[in-house]
Amino acid sequence: MVGFIVIAAVAALAFAVINYYGVKRKDAGTPEMQQIAAAIQEGAKAFLVLEYSVILKVVVLIAILLGVVVSPTSAIAFVFGAVMSASAGWIGMNIATISNVRVSNEARNTKSLGKTLRVAFRGGSVMGLSVGGFALLGLALVYLVFGILMKQVSPENLKFHTNWLGISDIPFTMTISAYALGCSIIAMFNRVGGGIYTKAADMGADLVGKTEAGIPEDDPRNPATIADNVGDNVGDVAGLGSDLLESYVGALVSAMILAAYIYFSRGGIEASLVAKLIYVPLLVAAAGILSSMVGIIYLLVKKVSSNPHKELNAATFVGAGLTIISSGFISYFIFRGEALQTIGFSLGAFSPWVCAVLGIISGIFIGQLAEYYTSYDFKPTQRISASSVEGPALTITEGMSVGMISVIGPVLILGIAIIAANITAGLYGVAMAAIGMLSFVTVTVSVDTYGPIADNAGGISEMAKLHPDVRGITDELDAVGNTTAAIGKGFAIGSATLAALSLFSSYLYAQAGENAVHGADMILNMVNPLTLVGALVGGALPYLFSGILIKAVANAARKMVQEVRRQFKADPGIILGTSLPDYKTCISISSAGALAEMKVPAIIAVLTPLLTGFLFGAEFVGGLLIGTTLSSVMLALYTANAGGAWDNGKKYVENGHFGGKGSDAHKAAVVGDTVGDPLKDTVGPSLDILIKIMAIVSLIAVSIFSKYNLFSLLMN
Amino acid sequence: MNYYYVIFSPIEALIASQLEPKAFGAYMARGSKKGSAERLMFAEVAGEFGDDFDWEYAKAKCVTHASGEVKHSVYLSIYRVIEHIPLKQYRNVYLVNKDGSTLCLEAAPYTTPGNWRGYGLYKEHCPVHPFIVSSLEPKALSDYIINDATKKITVPAIIFNDVRVIDFNEKEDTGNIGSMFERDLDHLKDCIATVQNKKDKITKTVDRSFDTRFSYQIIDNGIYIARGKEIIFYPMLSADQIKEVDYDWGRSANFF
Repeated sequence: MVGFIVIAAVAALAFAVINYYGVKRKDAGTPEMQQIAAAIQEGAKAFLVLEYSVILKVVVLIAILLGVVVSPTSAIAFVFGAVMSASAGWIGMNIATISNVRVSNEARNTKSLGKTLRVAFRGGSVMGLSVGGFALLGLALVYLVFGILMKQVSPENLKFHTNWLGISDIPFTMTISAYALGCSIIAMFNRVGGGIYTKAADMGADLVGKTEAGIPEDDPRNPATIADNVGDNVGDVAGLGSDLLESYVGALVSAMILAAYIYFSRGGIEASLVAKLIYVPLLVAAAGILSSMVGIIYLLVKKVSSNPHKELNAATFVGAGLTIISSGFISYFIFRGEALQTIGFSLGAFSPWVCAVLGIISGIFIGQLAEYYTSYDFKPTQRISASSVEGPALTITEGMSVGMISVIGPVLILGIAIIAANITAGLYGVAMAAIGMLSFVTVTVSVDTYGPIADNAGGISEMAKLHPDVRGITDELDAVGNTTAAIGKGFAIGSATLAALSLFSSYLYAQAGENAVHGADMILNMVNPLTLVGALVGGALPYLFSGILIKAVANAARKMVQEVRRQFKADPGIILGTSLPDYKTCISISSAGALAEMKVPAIIAVLTPLLTGFLFGAEFVGGLLIGTTLSSVMLALYTANAGGAWDNGKKYVENGHFGGKGSDAHKAAVVGDTVGDPLKDTVGPSLDILIKIMAIVSLIAVSIFSKYNLFSLLMN
Repeated sequence: MNYYYVIFSPIEALIASQLEPKAFGAYMARGSKKGSAERLMFAEVAGEFGDDFDWEYAKAKCVTHASGEVKHSVYLSIYRVIEHIPLKQYRNVYLVNKDGSTLCLEAAPYTTPGNWRGYGLYKEHCPVHPFIVSSLEPKALSDYIINDATKKITVPAIIFNDVRVIDFNEKEDTGNIGSMFERDLDHLKDCIATVQNKKDKITKTVDRSFDTRFSYQIIDNGIYIARGKEIIFYPMLSADQIKEVDYDWGRSANFF
C-alpha cells in the first residue's frame, strides 16, 4: 500500500518536472519581455531567499525544542515537513516566474486564447503537482520510516509513552503532528509575509500611479509595478501553495491521529483495522492525486474553447469526479468484511467514502457560493457597483453587507457536512470529509496558480507594450483568474475549518491522555470559567491578528507611496517615459516591510496557545481553539468575500457600467477595492493558517502544558 | 525650429516652443520639475501671422539654452487668443492626458453629425466653458454663438466638442463615459426638453463649470473650432481606431 502511495506522489512530481520543462523550453519572447520577466523573477527569488533565511532560524529553534522536550523523531519529522512545504513554495514561485513571460509570448505568437490558457495552466499545474506530490511523499515517507520501519504504528506502540520529562504522548501521533507543524510554520510565514508584500506593492502602485499620476495599471513608468508583479508570485503562488499544502497535510494527519486515538481509547479493535484507518487517508490522497493528474492532462490535450472559466472548471470536475469514483473503490475494498460497527461506521465499508464525498460536495458548494457573492455575473457584486454611483461610503457599506451575508451559507454547508460525516463515521468521518475536500488539491492548486501567472502575463504584456490584441487575451485570462482566486479562497477556508476541527478532536484526545479510554475526559466543559475565558480570548484573537496584519500592510504601503511619489518628483522623465524608474528600491521596500512586519503575527499564532497553555492549562487552550476557530472562520469568509466582491465590483464598473472608467462610480469602486485588498489577500488567507497552526501547536504541546502549568500549580 | 501652440483647455494661451507637439503636450502636462499632472488640449498653429502677437519677441526668446537644451515654452498671450487666430493657421489638435501621453487629431471636411437626433450636447472649451444643450447642429451652433446679431452676447471665436448621448433609460450599461451622466440626469433631461419644446430656446446651459467632469471619453463626433463664418472639424477617433493608433493613450484616457 505504501508503495502505491509513494508511486502516486512520485508520479505527480515527475509530471511536475515534465510540465516544468514543457513550459521552460518555450520561447520567452522579445528581449524587452525577458528583461521585465527577469526583474520580476529576481525580485521574487530575492524575497523568498530573505524570507526563508528568517524561517530557517525559527525552524532550527523549534526543531531543537522538539528534539529536547518531545522526541528526536518529532524534530526530524518537523524539519522534513518544513523542507517539503518550503520546496513546494519555492518551486511554485520559480515556475510562476518562468511561465508568466511565456504565457505572454504564447499570446503574442498564436493570438489564441486556448493555446495561451494551456501554457498558463501547464505552469500552474507544476505548483499543483508539487503541492500534492511533496505533501504526500513527505507524509508517506514519515509513515514508512517512523511508522513502519521504526514500528510506531505497531499495535504495541499505539499507546502513551512517557519521556524523560514525564510528558506522555503516542509517539506516532506526535511524529506526524510535528510533520504537520513543519508545513504550518512555512505556510504561516509564506502566507503572512507574501500577503503583506503583495498588498503593500499593489496599494503603493495604485494609490500614486493610477490615482495621482493618472497612469494605467501595470504601466512600466510606475516604479512599484515590478514589485506588484513580484507580490503576485510570493503571495498568491508561494503563499497559497504552502497554505493548501498545510491544509492537505493537516487533514491527512488529523485522520491518522484520530485513528490512533480511536484504537487506544476504544479497545477491542483489530490491529489490522486500525492500520487501515491510518493508511486509508493516504490511499485516498494518492487516488486524488492520480485523478487530478487526469484532470490536468484532460485540459492540456483537449481542444480548448474560448471560455477559459469553463475549461478550468472542467479540469477540476474531472479530477473531483475521478476522486469520488476511485475513493469509493478504495473504501469498499479496504474495509469490506471488517467489524466497522465497533468504531461507529454506520454505513459499513462505504462510510469513509461517504464522508469524503460529503467533503468534496461541500467544497464545490462553498466554491460556488464564493463565486456567487464575488463574481460580477451575479447580483451581490452588481449591487456594490450600483452603490458606487452614490459615492465611496455606500460602496463600503454595501460591500460589508455582502461580505457579512456571505458567511452564513458556507457555515451551514460545513455544519451539515460535519454532522453528516460524524453520524456516518464519527470524528474520523469529519477528518475524512476534510480529506475529501482536499483530495483533489493538486488540480485546485493548479487552477489557483494559473491566476497569478495570467495576472503576471497581463502585466508583462502591458509593460512590454505588446499589441492590444495580445493584451486583450492576457487580460481575459487574468479576469478568469480573479474568479478562480475567489473560489479557491472559499475552498481554502472550508478545508481549513474541517482540518482544524479534526485537529481539535485530536487535541481533545491528547488532552485526555491516558484517560481517553474513559471517554468522559474528552468533554470540553464550556461552563468551566477557564474554558469560557479561553473561548472569549480565542474569539478576540483573530481580530488582533487581523488588525496587526492590516496595519502591517498599511505601514509598508505608506512607505511605498512615499517612494513612488519621491521618484515621480525627482525625475519627471519617469512619467514621460524618457527615463526608467528605480524598481529595485520599491522591491526592497516591500521585502523589508513584509519581513519586518510578518514576525509579530507569526509569533502570536505560535506562542499564544503555548503561553496560555503554560499559564492556564489545557482547558483554557481548548476554549481558545474553539473561540479562535469560530471567530476566524467567520472573519475569513467575510474578509475574503467582501474583498472579492469589492474587487469585482470595480471591474464591473470598468467593463462599462455606471459610467465606466473615470467616472465617479469608478473612483468610489476603486476605494472599495483598495479597502478590500488587504482583507481578501492578506487577512483572510492568513486566518486559515492561524486556526491550523494554533491547533497543531496545541496538539503537540498539550501533553506538556497539561502537566506543567501555572494555574494548576497555584490551585494545588 | 519654433512651433506655435494655442492651448484652449484648461487655459487659453499662445505659446512658442522648440518642442515637437507630443513632447510639448507631455511637458505641459507634467512640467519639468513641479511634478504636476494636468490634462490639456491644444492646437498647433502656423505662426507669424497678423500683428496681434509679438512674433519677433517669440523668435528672440524661443532659442536653445546655452546648455543645449531646447526652449520649452515662451508665452505670447494668455487671454483673448483664439479670436485673433485665423482658421487657416490651425494645424492638428492634440489631446493630452494627465500622464503626458498625447493623441493627435487631424482636420477633416465638416459634415452634419450622422447620429443627429434633433438636439446636441456640447462642451464649450474656449473662451467660455459651459456644458450646453442646443437644437442646432455644430456648424449652425457656432454661427449662432458668433454671428447672431439678435443676441446680446456673442463671442468672436469658439472651440467646443459635441458630447455623446447615452440611452437615458439604461443607466447601467453606459460604456466608459466617465462622470458625464451620473448626477443631475433629470436636470439634463429638462434642459433637452426645453430646447426641443420651445422653438425660441436655441441653447440651454446645463452646467456653467463642467471642466472637472469632462473627459475625452465623452467626445462624440469631434472637436470644432469656429471663427467668423468658418468652422474646422477635427473628428474624434473611435475606440477601435485609438486601439490601433495609440492604445496606451486610450488606456490613460480610460477608454480601455
